Amino acid sequence: MRLYKKEGNIIEILSFPNENVEKGDYLLIEDAEAQKALIAQVIDVQFANIPGILEELLRSLPDGGGTIQGEDVDPLEIAPHITYIQDSRLLICKIRATVEGDFLSPSTSWLPSRSQSSIRKLPIATLIRLAKVNGNLPITLGVTKENSLLTIDASSLDGRLNIITGKKETGKSHLSKLLITSLLQYKAVVVVLDLNGEYTGLGFTSDGKRNAYYNKIHVLTPAQNFKVAIKQLHLNVILNILIHALHLPGTSAREFRRIWQHLKDKGCLTLHELGEAIRNWNCNQNVRDALFSRYYALVNSGFFTDNVAEATLLEECLFKAREEGGAVIINLRNTSPIDRQIVVEYLLGKLVELLTSWRLKAVFLFAEEAHLYLRETYWDDIVTRMRHFGIFTTFITNQPDTIRENIYRQADNIFLFNFTNEHDLEVVSRAARVDAETVKSIARDLPPHHCLVLGKVVKDFPIVVKVRALDVKTMGETRLFFTGAHSENTSQASPVEPYSAGENS
Amino acid sequence: MVIEQYTITATPKYNFPQNAIDTVLPQRLIELSIYSLKHVQNQAVQLKQQTIQQAVLSQETLVAQHPTPPVQPIPLNPKTEPTTIAAVDTSSIKLGETGRGIIIAVRGTTVWKRGRNYAYLRVGPLIFHITEENLQEIYKTLLKAYFPEQNPQGAPGFLQIPLRMANLLERWLQASLAKTMSNGIILFDGSLTAGTPDTPTQQLKEVLASARSMGNAVLAFTKVTTLRFNGCLLTEAFPAYRPPCLVEVANIKPKPPLTLLGEVYVAKLARGNYAFRLDVDRELPAQKRVEAVEKLLGNDLIVHGYPETLRLAHILCTFTANEVIAMQHFIQQRYRLKIIDRPDMHRLLFGPFGKGESHYETL
Repeated sequence: MRLYKKEGNIIEILSFPNENVEKGDYLLIEDAEAQKALIAQVIDVQFANIPGILEELLRSLPDGGGTIQGEDVDPLEIAPHITYIQDSRLLICKIRATVEGDFLSPSTSWLPSRSQSSIRKLPIATLIRLAKVNGNLPITLGVTKENSLLTIDASSLDGRLNIITGKKETGKSHLSKLLITSLLQYKAVVVVLDLNGEYTGLGFTSDGKRNAYYNKIHVLTPAQNFKVAIKQLHLNVILNILIHALHLPGTSAREFRRIWQHLKDKGCLTLHELGEAIRNWNCNQNVRDALFSRYYALVNSGFFTDNVAEATLLEECLFKAREEGGAVIINLRNTSPIDRQIVVEYLLGKLVELLTSWRLKAVFLFAEEAHLYLRETYWDDIVTRMRHFGIFTTFITNQPDTIRENIYRQADNIFLFNFTNEHDLEVVSRAARVDAETVKSIARDLPPHHCLVLGKVVKDFPIVVKVRALDVKTMGETRLFFTGAHSENTSQASPVEPYSAGENS
Repeated sequence: MVIEQYTITATPKYNFPQNAIDTVLPQRLIELSIYSLKHVQNQAVQLKQQTIQQAVLSQETLVAQHPTPPVQPIPLNPKTEPTTIAAVDTSSIKLGETGRGIIIAVRGTTVWKRGRNYAYLRVGPLIFHITEENLQEIYKTLLKAYFPEQNPQGAPGFLQIPLRMANLLERWLQASLAKTMSNGIILFDGSLTAGTPDTPTQQLKEVLASARSMGNAVLAFTKVTTLRFNGCLLTEAFPAYRPPCLVEVANIKPKPPLTLLGEVYVAKLARGNYAFRLDVDRELPAQKRVEAVEKLLGNDLIVHGYPETLRLAHILCTFTANEVIAMQHFIQQRYRLKIIDRPDMHRLLFGPFGKGESHYETL
């Protein structure tokens, strides 16, 4: 390999066919005299622009497009050299850091010698060691293409905003399950907003047996084992639900505040009393109607109860998790869109309340397809305000454009699976912790279950990893029409005799 | 002579009926190539700063002496009876300079068309390290090995050697073709003018005789001619004649020692005012000569008035920049030559007005 060109932080390296270098590989460009080395990552592999190559190719197709038959007598065996030159490649690399001795620095202000520097592949394992990606709380994500383990430090997820994204069926949920279970090993408190019930099997192995996390997984299904007592609700939380989830206008919200205060002062804050109070409240008929429609929405959600004993599970689970670590899975699978928003409004309000009062230290929140239940203003809250309370969010989505640009800008870690759509890649490439070229070039070619890890977890050295397998029960699979049994039945069905005598009898 | 043991495969025979004449690859050429390169190990090499392709010049060296005006054009009717068309061309290039000499490469191609298919045999590239000491030896040894009857004249100088080595290979390819092919048309690049240092009369006569004895007709196309008629270039003198036709240019008196071994025509084979000087073996009867051109018309593609077979031969032997780099890579890797970058004095002194190395002094 020879150093060819440098422009900005892009470096071009001439590579020959016997040097097996691929996209994503790291190269070490050592300048012995300067006693320094550059670490560069290959983001694209192109054919070198060899002079005369066009003539060479045209020459082999002169006969109306068909290859001309012939024989070459090449006693000096020059032909392999021609092929060698023809197949030489240009590696487009991004400079990532400078190594001086055992120290890494992000400085790229110097230029190694073009004639004297030596270039070699830098094994990912060496890079991980140099960059000190490993920490005291290791989480093994999987293997790199060199078959070395990629282990990140759990503390690099702590206090961070993470995004897991990629197109469908590339392994996003699998990775988030891996991160959740790994965090549980370090006694972390995890809350999962589970849109499709995919995480409800986390406590079981693939063959349905209880696994090591069984006692740490708490699945809460709204209106079933997850209810809220009206008495326990804070006025602010219920108002947030009414205004943001149920879109209650301001005037009506003011009347509701009075009603709520009135009932609270009287000490009779129940669903029934709330309904009666709205009915008998001296207010404009339109306001009453607005309040009534929201009241019935609350009642019909089944999420609210007057029975305090029924409504203690969330806090119980969180406090249990606080001691030994645990994951509270909020199963939103069969919950309507409005009810989802009500539940999430309540949950986030509750978490903030617990965190503000230091009854909880911090929570790792995993939110799948958050645009389906998270109100607009929460996006900003999550990246600015909530992390100060101790809510560290990981967004999981296959529609990267549903996450706001400012979220990408502030994301600390991105776990990027395959995307082929130019628009999707464009959106992700706005992340501040990585350059657009790397995202676009590498993510496009990622095979399933391979993830490009970007950000602080890998000390800003983008690394491709094949996510390791996890022995947990898979839930939330796509329901298929052509299942095994169905296709078997249809293939065996006889067009002449659809029913047998035995079956009829 | 001790030869480095390379895996040298014998040339496969042409895909033509064989006779008793040995047509194996010029073994001596390969031996000399390897031998000369062996003596270049670990030297410094200055790559040619402006690589200029040195294809065999098809510009004929004949000086016309008032050619007789032609009488009538000879109209041509393409004859489609199946005839094999074959063509030969060679190319040479200077790859670089060492402290003691130059490194050159030569390559030759034979292309033939039978039915609708073209096929080729390409010999080379053969690389030679030519020094003052071995120049005479290499050239004369080769000449003696392949044309033993010919009296070795003085070896060419450094400037001419790439061309002369290519000529030698070309003559050998032509001779092989003439001896192995039968009842076909053989196309040469250039003219049938003999008596020049690179085309001795005896050599060319032998080739033509061999071709005739096998029932072949030799046609030589010259792309650029200096022959003039009434002040006009011969190839531009007859714009009114409708193609395809031949215009006979009789009574050309070449200056001794030049000899014309072919009958000279202006060939207008296609529309578009493309005319070429065409030499056809003089020993063939006039009717056979015309018939040979008609067979060529009926059996080969004629693009811009030039036979496709000959065009392919030229294309296939020409060195591309990529191949030049590959050959330089080969000599660097195999013989551990150290590439040096000596400044180009023309560029250094005259900047953008420097004409490069092509204008440097004659050695």
